[in-house]
Amino acid sequence: MDNEESLSKYILDSQKLEISSFTKKIKVAFLSSFTINGLSESLQVKCSKKQISCNPYVAGYNQYNQEILDKKSGLYSFSPDITFLILDTRSIFGDLFYFPYSITKSERENFVNEKITEILNLINKFNETSNSKLVITNLALPYYSPHGIAETKTSYSFHDAIIDFNKKLKEHLLDNNSVYVFDFFKFIIKHGENNVFNFQNYLFGDIKISLDYIPYLANEFMPYIISFLGLTKKCIVVDLDNTLWGGIVGEDGFDGIRLGPQPPGNAFIEFQKYLKALSQRGILLAINSKNNFDDAIQVIREHPFMILTENDFSCIKINWNNKASNMLEISEELNIGLDSFVFFDDDPVNRELIKETMPEITTPDLPHDPSFYSEVIQSLHDFSTFQITSEDTKRGQMYLEQKQRTKSQNSLSNISEFLKTLNLEIEIKKTDSFTIPRISQLTLKTNQFNLTTKRYQEDEIQKFSEDANILINCVQIKDKFGDNGITGVLIVKKTNSDEWFLDTFLLSCRVMGREAEKAMLYFIINQAKKNNIKRLKAKFIPTLKNKPIEDFLFNSQFYEENGFWIYNLEKPFNMPNFLTLKEE
Amino acid sequence: MSEKLFKIISKVMNVDFKDVNNESNPSTISNWTSFNGYVLLYELETNFNVKFSIDEAMDVKNVADIKRHLKNHGIDVND
Repeated sequence: MDNEESLSKYILDSQKLEISSFTKKIKVAFLSSFTINGLSESLQVKCSKKQISCNPYVAGYNQYNQEILDKKSGLYSFSPDITFLILDTRSIFGDLFYFPYSITKSERENFVNEKITEILNLINKFNETSNSKLVITNLALPYYSPHGIAETKTSYSFHDAIIDFNKKLKEHLLDNNSVYVFDFFKFIIKHGENNVFNFQNYLFGDIKISLDYIPYLANEFMPYIISFLGLTKKCIVVDLDNTLWGGIVGEDGFDGIRLGPQPPGNAFIEFQKYLKALSQRGILLAINSKNNFDDAIQVIREHPFMILTENDFSCIKINWNNKASNMLEISEELNIGLDSFVFFDDDPVNRELIKETMPEITTPDLPHDPSFYSEVIQSLHDFSTFQITSEDTKRGQMYLEQKQRTKSQNSLSNISEFLKTLNLEIEIKKTDSFTIPRISQLTLKTNQFNLTTKRYQEDEIQKFSEDANILINCVQIKDKFGDNGITGVLIVKKTNSDEWFLDTFLLSCRVMGREAEKAMLYFIINQAKKNNIKRLKAKFIPTLKNKPIEDFLFNSQFYEENGFWIYNLEKPFNMPNFLTLKEE
Repeated sequence: MSEKLFKIISKVMNVDFKDVNNESNPSTISNWTSFNGYVLLYELETNFNVKFSIDEAMDVKNVADIKRHLKNHGIDVND
């Protein structure tokens, strides 16, 4: 685990930050039941390392109730993107923290239920007044109990009450897509109660997280920022020799590499298992290795202790080209930007090459000892998302199908001939509790075929779907190779009785180039015509990445007018006949 | 040794090294809030390898007090 800098260093660094040039910005509010000085400074410094400008609001000491209940509070006028509400067991339990057995078991149960109701009421008030995402901490479990070793022989004990509080908090918020529980309980497990809590800190200044551990807490808050800004990494690119196995297959041979149940070969098995788990949750894997293809692929295909199989990799580059040009090819083939990659390589020279030539790629330093590879992967926050959608878990399979599509594309002479053979089916789907998280995720992550690049959080999508003046749908695309899942979004604002406005129109990069956008536009045009609308208005907002959609409006017979694009709905619109359009 | 102490104070309080002296206190250094006072003691504990008691921590009103308490722990910063 990385050792953190001291809190005073973070505070000092935060005073020297020059963040005005960063384009990524976030407003973060901190509310707490105890002293958390230094937390906002630590988070600001950590954000700046990722080129994010973090504008903090820190509520007064133990003012969280007032800030949330008063609609005119500083919190609400600051209008944060994310609010952290940091609670602690002593504050919530009050005197019962010391005297839990001064009341009966059923009174303890009632107490927990009352506290949960109080917190939920507070959360409801917050949700009514603010659009901010709320991250609330659960409670730490102290090792101490007045019952000592008899604690585990006590029915609904002090510790049970804390665990019950945490369980109920989680259950009540499970389906709430703007409030998240930060597992403070696990934070203490990771760092240890004796390290994080210090009686002198606590008694001197109600500091319940000792100064050394404030930066560690800020570190654990970073995934929320990364996920909110849609900066989640999509793909891990790995080297092979001394990364997925020990030794060099070209020199040590198939039987000589270190990969197996005995040390040091087990370090690589352990590492591969972590990679496999990430791939199962939707992170793509790719190989970038300097090797003879036949030597290396033989290990992947035939070695009895390989955990990862050939099909776990969405893209494989095993050759003698330089690693930077391989990276570019991987990025092109998978159709994802360089800033979506993490690069794992044991060789510091290769890491340096990637860091120098492609600074947007995250290139963690690997320790010399492979036993610690797994720790590096555990400490990376770059893969976090607020929720795991079903598309995430199927992603590896979808890219594999994409590989087969590309192969068959290469064997056909022209693109429309190829598209005809795909049996493309585009289904326009309504919003519901399953699709809303995915729609938000697509608006946050899609960069290339995205007309306006407007980013929307789940609660905003929820509101759109309840608004009669907004047409919002997602698009599921299937073809003969398989189901691509929900990969398109359209949001149309019904401006008035004559005109609709195309607020969001996007397709995920993995389904680009199949003319599915024409089916989506066809659907919108038909809906507009049914409502006797005269004009469909649109705006193209250029970014560094959305060139693929630049000519879409022009090619679809929109004409330019005062910086907007207009489609006259009296004109007929035809969809290519190889597309099948379905509506849910 | 005085220099080492003044450097730590100037870093934690984000003030110029020359503006730190034995009389410096929360009214002469605007960043010397109660929290930063505590951060300062924390830094001193790390840098001089000592542990202050809560009485000592509460007793610090200016830089001279810090020197006095460091001396109680066997560290003479006037050397």
